[in-house]
Amino acid sequence: MSRRILVVDDSPTLVKFVSYSLKSSGYEVVGACDGMDALEKVSHLESDIDLVITDLNMPNIDGYELIATLRQNDKFAEVPIIILSSEEGDEDKQKGEKVGATSYLVKPFKSSVLLAEVARLLD
Amino acid sequence: MDKSIRVDDSAKNIHAELRHLADSISQIIKGIRVAQEPIADSRNKVPQATKQLEKVTQQTAMATHRVLDMVEAITSREGEIETQIKELRRVLPSTYFRNNSRVKRIVERICVNVSSNQNDAYAIMDALQFQDITSQQVDHAISLLEQVENRLKDVLVGLQLDVGPENDVKRKERAYDPNAHFSNNSNEQSEVDELLNNLTKEKQNN
Repeated sequence: MSRRILVVDDSPTLVKFVSYSLKSSGYEVVGACDGMDALEKVSHLESDIDLVITDLNMPNIDGYELIATLRQNDKFAEVPIIILSSEEGDEDKQKGEKVGATSYLVKPFKSSVLLAEVARLLD
Repeated sequence: MDKSIRVDDSAKNIHAELRHLADSISQIIKGIRVAQEPIADSRNKVPQATKQLEKVTQQTAMATHRVLDMVEAITSREGEIETQIKELRRVLPSTYFRNNSRVKRIVERICVNVSSNQNDAYAIMDALQFQDITSQQVDHAISLLEQVENRLKDVLVGLQLDVGPENDVKRKERAYDPNAHFSNNSNEQSEVDELLNNLTKEKQNN
Protein backbone atom coordinates (compact mmCIF):
# COMPACT_ATOMS: atom_id res chain seq x y z
CA MET A 1 0.00 0.00 0.00
CA SER A 2 1.36 3.43 -0.92
CA ARG A 3 2.26 5.91 1.79
CA ARG A 4 -0.04 8.90 2.16
CA ILE A 5 1.43 12.40 2.44
CA LEU A 6 -0.35 15.62 3.40
CA VAL A 7 0.99 18.67 1.49
CA VAL A 8 -0.01 22.08 2.90
CA ASP A 9 0.84 25.34 1.11
CA ASP A 10 -1.14 28.46 0.15
CA SER A 11 0.68 28.50 -3.19
CA PRO A 12 -1.23 26.27 -5.64
CA THR A 13 1.99 26.10 -7.72
CA LEU A 14 3.92 24.61 -4.81
CA VAL A 15 1.17 22.10 -3.98
CA LYS A 16 1.03 21.02 -7.62
CA PHE A 17 4.82 20.78 -7.95
CA VAL A 18 5.33 18.86 -4.68
CA SER A 19 2.32 16.61 -5.37
CA TYR A 20 3.60 15.68 -8.79
CA SER A 21 7.10 14.90 -7.47
CA LEU A 22 5.65 12.70 -4.73
CA LYS A 23 3.09 10.96 -6.97
CA SER A 24 5.74 10.13 -9.55
CA SER A 25 7.64 8.36 -6.76
CA GLY A 26 4.59 6.30 -5.81
CA TYR A 27 3.21 8.29 -2.89
CA GLU A 28 -0.43 9.18 -2.42
CA VAL A 29 -0.97 12.91 -1.84
CA VAL A 30 -3.61 14.93 -0.02
CA GLY A 31 -3.29 18.67 -0.78
CA ALA A 32 -4.44 21.56 1.42
CA CYS A 33 -4.29 25.34 0.86
CA ASP A 34 -3.63 26.38 4.48
CA GLY A 35 -3.55 25.07 8.05
CA MET A 36 -7.31 25.31 8.48
CA ASP A 37 -7.96 23.38 5.27
CA ALA A 38 -5.38 20.76 6.35
CA LEU A 39 -7.05 20.21 9.75
CA GLU A 40 -10.44 20.01 8.07
CA LYS A 41 -9.21 17.40 5.56
CA VAL A 42 -7.40 15.38 8.22
CA SER A 43 -10.57 15.22 10.34
CA HIS A 44 -12.48 13.68 7.41
CA LEU A 45 -9.85 11.17 6.30
CA GLU A 46 -10.54 7.54 7.01
CA SER A 47 -6.98 6.29 6.60
CA ASP A 48 -3.86 7.64 8.27
CA ILE A 49 -1.39 10.21 7.05
CA ASP A 50 2.20 8.91 7.04
CA LEU A 51 4.00 12.24 6.63
CA VAL A 52 3.17 15.95 6.56
CA ILE A 53 4.87 18.60 4.42
CA THR A 54 3.88 22.15 5.31
CA ASP A 55 4.68 25.77 4.51
CA LEU A 56 5.00 28.30 7.36
CA ASN A 57 3.52 31.56 6.06
CA MET A 58 -0.13 30.81 5.36
CA PRO A 59 -3.42 32.65 5.96
CA ASN A 60 -5.96 31.49 8.58
CA ILE A 61 -3.79 28.93 10.38
CA ASP A 62 -0.04 29.15 9.74
CA GLY A 63 2.46 26.30 9.68
CA TYR A 64 3.56 26.62 13.31
CA GLU A 65 0.00 26.50 14.60
CA LEU A 66 -0.82 23.60 12.30
CA ILE A 67 2.14 21.55 13.57
CA ALA A 68 1.36 22.35 17.20
CA THR A 69 -2.31 21.36 16.70
CA LEU A 70 -1.39 18.13 14.88
CA ARG A 71 1.07 17.17 17.63
CA GLN A 72 -1.74 17.38 20.17
CA ASN A 73 -3.58 14.67 18.21
CA ASP A 74 -2.44 11.15 19.18
CA LYS A 75 -2.63 10.08 15.52
CA PHE A 76 0.03 12.63 14.61
CA ALA A 77 2.26 12.31 17.65
CA GLU A 78 4.88 10.31 15.76
CA VAL A 79 4.19 11.36 12.16
CA PRO A 80 7.24 13.05 10.54
CA ILE A 81 6.59 16.69 9.62
CA ILE A 82 8.74 18.54 7.07
CA ILE A 83 8.62 22.33 6.94
CA LEU A 84 9.06 23.87 3.48
CA SER A 85 9.74 27.56 3.82
CA SER A 86 11.53 30.42 2.16
CA GLU A 87 12.48 31.66 5.65
CA GLU A 88 16.17 30.81 6.00
CA GLY A 89 16.84 32.07 9.52
CA ASP A 90 17.87 29.79 12.39
CA GLU A 91 15.14 31.37 14.48
CA ASP A 92 12.43 29.96 12.19
CA LYS A 93 14.07 26.53 12.16
CA GLN A 94 14.29 26.50 15.96
CA LYS A 95 10.70 27.67 16.28
CA GLY A 96 9.63 24.89 13.90
CA GLU A 97 11.55 22.32 15.88
CA LYS A 98 10.06 23.63 19.11
CA VAL A 99 6.47 23.13 17.91
CA GLY A 100 7.29 19.60 16.72
CA ALA A 101 8.67 19.67 13.15
CA THR A 102 11.00 16.84 12.20
CA SER A 103 12.83 18.46 9.32
CA TYR A 104 13.21 21.82 7.52
CA LEU A 105 13.85 22.50 3.82
CA VAL A 106 14.39 25.98 2.39
CA LYS A 107 12.51 27.07 -0.76
CA PRO A 108 13.32 26.89 -3.58
CA PHE A 109 14.48 23.28 -3.32
CA LYS A 110 15.26 20.47 -5.70
CA SER A 111 12.58 17.80 -5.92
CA SER A 112 15.30 15.15 -5.57
CA VAL A 113 16.26 16.65 -2.17
CA LEU A 114 12.65 16.56 -1.02
CA LEU A 115 12.18 12.99 -2.23
CA ALA A 116 15.39 11.86 -0.50
CA GLU A 117 14.24 13.50 2.74
CA VAL A 118 10.77 11.92 2.49
CA ALA A 119 12.34 8.49 1.86
CA ARG A 120 14.71 8.95 4.80
CA LEU A 121 11.88 9.85 7.17
CA LEU A 122 9.53 7.10 6.00
CA ASP A 123 12.08 4.25 5.96
CA MET B 1 -0.71 112.46 25.18
CA ASP B 2 2.59 110.70 24.41
CA LYS B 3 1.28 107.58 26.06
CA SER B 4 -1.82 107.41 23.82
CA ILE B 5 0.36 107.82 20.68
CA ARG B 6 2.51 104.88 21.79
CA VAL B 7 -0.60 102.70 22.37
CA ASP B 8 -1.93 103.68 18.98
CA ASP B 9 1.38 102.74 17.28
CA SER B 10 1.47 99.40 19.10
CA ALA B 11 -2.08 98.63 18.03
CA LYS B 12 -1.17 99.43 14.44
CA ASN B 13 1.88 97.15 14.66
CA ILE B 14 -0.19 94.29 16.15
CA HIS B 15 -2.80 94.80 13.48
CA ALA B 16 -0.13 94.65 10.75
CA GLU B 17 1.38 91.50 12.30
CA LEU B 18 -2.05 89.84 12.52
CA ARG B 19 -2.79 90.73 8.91
CA HIS B 20 0.58 89.28 7.91
CA LEU B 21 -0.17 86.13 9.91
CA ALA B 22 -3.62 85.81 8.32
CA ASP B 23 -2.06 86.17 4.86
CA SER B 24 0.49 83.48 5.68
CA ILE B 25 -2.21 81.13 6.96
CA SER B 26 -4.25 81.84 3.85
CA GLN B 27 -1.21 80.95 1.70
CA ILE B 28 -0.67 77.73 3.69
CA ILE B 29 -4.34 76.76 3.25
CA LYS B 30 -4.05 77.45 -0.47
CA GLY B 31 -0.93 75.29 -0.57
CA ILE B 32 -2.69 72.47 1.30
CA ARG B 33 -5.67 72.70 -1.05
CA VAL B 34 -3.31 72.47 -4.02
CA ALA B 35 -1.69 69.38 -2.41
CA GLN B 36 -5.07 67.76 -1.66
CA GLU B 37 -5.74 66.71 -5.21
CA PRO B 38 -2.40 64.97 -5.90
CA ILE B 39 -2.48 63.28 -2.46
CA ALA B 40 -6.04 62.02 -3.02
CA ASP B 41 -5.14 61.05 -6.58
CA SER B 42 -2.05 59.11 -5.44
CA ARG B 43 -4.12 57.38 -2.78
CA ASN B 44 -6.76 56.38 -5.33
CA LYS B 45 -4.13 54.98 -7.68
CA VAL B 46 -2.79 52.48 -5.13
CA PRO B 47 -5.76 50.06 -5.48
CA GLN B 48 -5.28 50.16 -9.27
CA ALA B 49 -1.59 49.29 -8.83
CA THR B 50 -2.34 46.43 -6.42
CA LYS B 51 -5.00 45.10 -8.78
CA GLN B 52 -2.50 45.15 -11.64
CA LEU B 53 0.12 43.34 -9.56
CA GLU B 54 -2.43 40.71 -8.50
CA LYS B 55 -3.24 40.18 -12.17
CA VAL B 56 0.46 39.60 -12.88
CA THR B 57 0.60 36.96 -10.14
CA GLN B 58 -2.55 35.24 -11.43
CA GLN B 59 -1.30 35.17 -15.00
CA THR B 60 2.15 33.83 -14.11
CA ALA B 61 0.47 31.21 -11.90
CA MET B 62 -1.76 30.12 -14.78
CA ALA B 63 1.19 29.92 -17.17
CA THR B 64 3.27 28.02 -14.62
CA HIS B 65 0.49 25.49 -14.02
CA ARG B 66 0.16 24.99 -17.76
CA VAL B 67 3.88 24.32 -18.09
CA LEU B 68 3.74 21.98 -15.06
CA ASP B 69 0.90 20.02 -16.68
CA MET B 70 2.83 19.75 -19.93
CA VAL B 71 6.02 18.64 -18.18
CA GLU B 72 3.95 16.08 -16.28
CA ALA B 73 2.57 14.76 -19.58
CA ILE B 74 6.08 14.60 -21.09
CA THR B 75 7.55 12.65 -18.17
CA SER B 76 4.55 10.34 -18.25
CA ARG B 77 5.15 9.59 -21.95
CA GLU B 78 8.88 9.09 -21.30
CA GLY B 79 7.92 6.62 -18.58
CA GLU B 80 5.76 4.79 -21.10
CA ILE B 81 8.70 4.56 -23.53
CA GLU B 82 10.81 3.04 -20.74
CA THR B 83 8.08 0.47 -20.04
CA GLN B 84 7.73 -0.35 -23.75
CA ILE B 85 11.48 -0.94 -24.10
CA LYS B 86 11.41 -3.24 -21.07
CA GLU B 87 8.51 -5.09 -22.71
CA LEU B 88 10.46 -5.29 -25.97
CA ARG B 89 13.42 -6.81 -24.15
CA ARG B 90 11.08 -9.27 -22.46
CA VAL B 91 9.28 -10.46 -25.60
CA LEU B 92 12.29 -10.67 -27.91
CA PRO B 93 14.42 -13.81 -27.68
CA SER B 94 17.44 -13.32 -25.42
CA THR B 95 19.76 -13.83 -28.37
CA TYR B 96 18.13 -11.06 -30.43
CA PHE B 97 20.22 -8.14 -29.16
CA ARG B 98 23.35 -10.28 -29.15
CA ASN B 99 22.84 -10.94 -32.87
CA ASN B 100 21.70 -7.41 -33.75
CA SER B 101 24.29 -5.09 -32.27
CA ARG B 102 23.04 -2.08 -34.24
CA VAL B 103 19.50 -2.45 -32.87
CA LYS B 104 20.97 -2.94 -29.41
CA ARG B 105 22.90 0.36 -29.69
CA ILE B 106 19.77 2.20 -30.89
CA VAL B 107 17.70 0.88 -27.99
CA GLU B 108 20.45 1.81 -25.53
CA ARG B 109 20.58 5.31 -27.02
CA ILE B 110 16.78 5.64 -26.66
CA CYS B 111 17.10 4.65 -22.99
CA VAL B 112 19.81 7.27 -22.40
CA ASN B 113 17.69 9.95 -24.11
CA VAL B 114 14.62 9.01 -22.10
CA SER B 115 16.60 9.31 -18.89
CA SER B 116 18.05 12.69 -19.96
CA ASN B 117 14.59 13.97 -20.90
CA GLN B 118 13.21 12.94 -17.52
CA ASN B 119 16.07 14.66 -15.68
CA ASP B 120 15.54 17.82 -17.74
CA ALA B 121 11.80 17.68 -17.03
CA TYR B 122 12.51 17.54 -13.28
CA ALA B 123 14.92 20.48 -13.65
CA ILE B 124 12.16 22.48 -15.40
CA MET B 125 9.72 21.67 -12.62
CA ASP B 126 12.27 22.70 -9.97
CA ALA B 127 12.83 25.99 -11.80
CA LEU B 128 9.07 26.67 -11.92
CA GLN B 129 9.18 27.32 -8.19
CA PHE B 130 10.17 30.85 -9.24
CA GLN B 131 6.42 31.54 -9.51
CA ASP B 132 5.87 30.88 -5.80
CA ILE B 133 8.87 33.05 -4.87
CA THR B 134 7.90 35.94 -7.17
CA SER B 135 4.28 35.85 -5.99
CA GLN B 136 5.57 36.29 -2.41
CA GLN B 137 7.69 39.22 -3.56
CA VAL B 138 4.68 40.75 -5.34
CA ASP B 139 2.55 40.26 -2.20
CA HIS B 140 5.21 42.10 -0.22
CA ALA B 141 5.16 44.97 -2.76
CA ILE B 142 1.34 45.10 -2.57
CA SER B 143 1.49 45.22 1.20
CA LEU B 144 3.92 48.17 1.05
CA LEU B 145 1.62 49.96 -1.41
CA GLU B 146 -1.33 49.43 0.94
CA GLN B 147 0.72 50.98 3.75
CA VAL B 148 1.39 54.01 1.52
CA GLU B 149 -2.34 54.24 0.76
CA ASN B 150 -3.16 54.27 4.48
CA ARG B 151 -0.48 56.91 5.22
CA LEU B 152 -1.87 59.16 2.48
CA LYS B 153 -5.32 58.76 3.99
CA ASP B 154 -3.90 59.74 7.39
CA VAL B 155 -2.39 62.87 5.83
CA LEU B 156 -5.75 63.85 4.32
CA VAL B 157 -7.57 63.21 7.61
CA GLY B 158 -4.88 65.09 9.56
CA LEU B 159 -5.25 68.15 7.31
CA GLN B 160 -9.06 67.89 7.55
CA LEU B 161 -9.31 67.52 3.79
CA ASP B 162 -11.77 65.48 1.80
CA VAL B 163 -10.69 61.83 2.02
CA GLY B 164 -12.89 60.87 -0.91
CA PRO B 165 -14.91 57.68 -1.32
CA GLU B 166 -13.64 54.65 0.58
CA ASN B 167 -12.21 51.85 -1.51
CA ASP B 168 -14.75 49.03 -1.13
CA VAL B 169 -12.46 46.35 -2.61
CA LYS B 170 -12.11 43.57 -0.06
CA ARG B 171 -8.47 43.23 0.93
CA LYS B 172 -6.96 39.80 0.53
CA GLU B 173 -5.29 38.32 3.59
CA ARG B 174 -1.63 38.05 2.64
CA ALA B 175 0.83 35.58 4.12
CA TYR B 176 4.25 35.88 2.58
CA ASP B 177 7.92 35.88 3.40
CA PRO B 178 9.26 39.39 2.68
CA ASN B 179 12.75 37.92 2.22
CA ALA B 180 11.76 35.22 -0.30
CA HIS B 181 14.34 34.95 -3.07
CA PHE B 182 15.25 32.56 -5.83
CA SER B 183 18.75 31.26 -5.26
CA ASN B 184 20.66 29.09 -7.69
CA ASN B 185 23.25 27.44 -5.52
CA SER B 186 25.58 25.21 -7.51
CA ASN B 187 26.55 23.33 -4.37
CA GLU B 188 23.01 22.00 -4.03
CA GLN B 189 23.45 19.19 -6.55
CA SER B 190 26.50 17.82 -4.75
CA GLU B 191 24.48 17.87 -1.52
CA VAL B 192 21.70 15.94 -3.25
CA ASP B 193 24.14 13.40 -4.62
CA GLU B 194 25.66 12.93 -1.19
CA LEU B 195 22.23 12.50 0.40
CA LEU B 196 21.20 9.95 -2.23
CA ASN B 197 24.50 8.07 -1.91
CA ASN B 198 24.08 7.85 1.87
CA LEU B 199 20.54 6.62 1.40
CA THR B 200 21.65 3.92 -1.05
CA LYS B 201 24.43 2.83 1.32
CA GLU B 202 21.99 2.69 4.24
CA LYS B 203 19.62 0.50 2.20
CA GLN B 204 22.45 -1.81 1.13
CA ASN B 205 23.62 -2.19 4.73
CA ASN B 206 20.11 -3.10 5.91
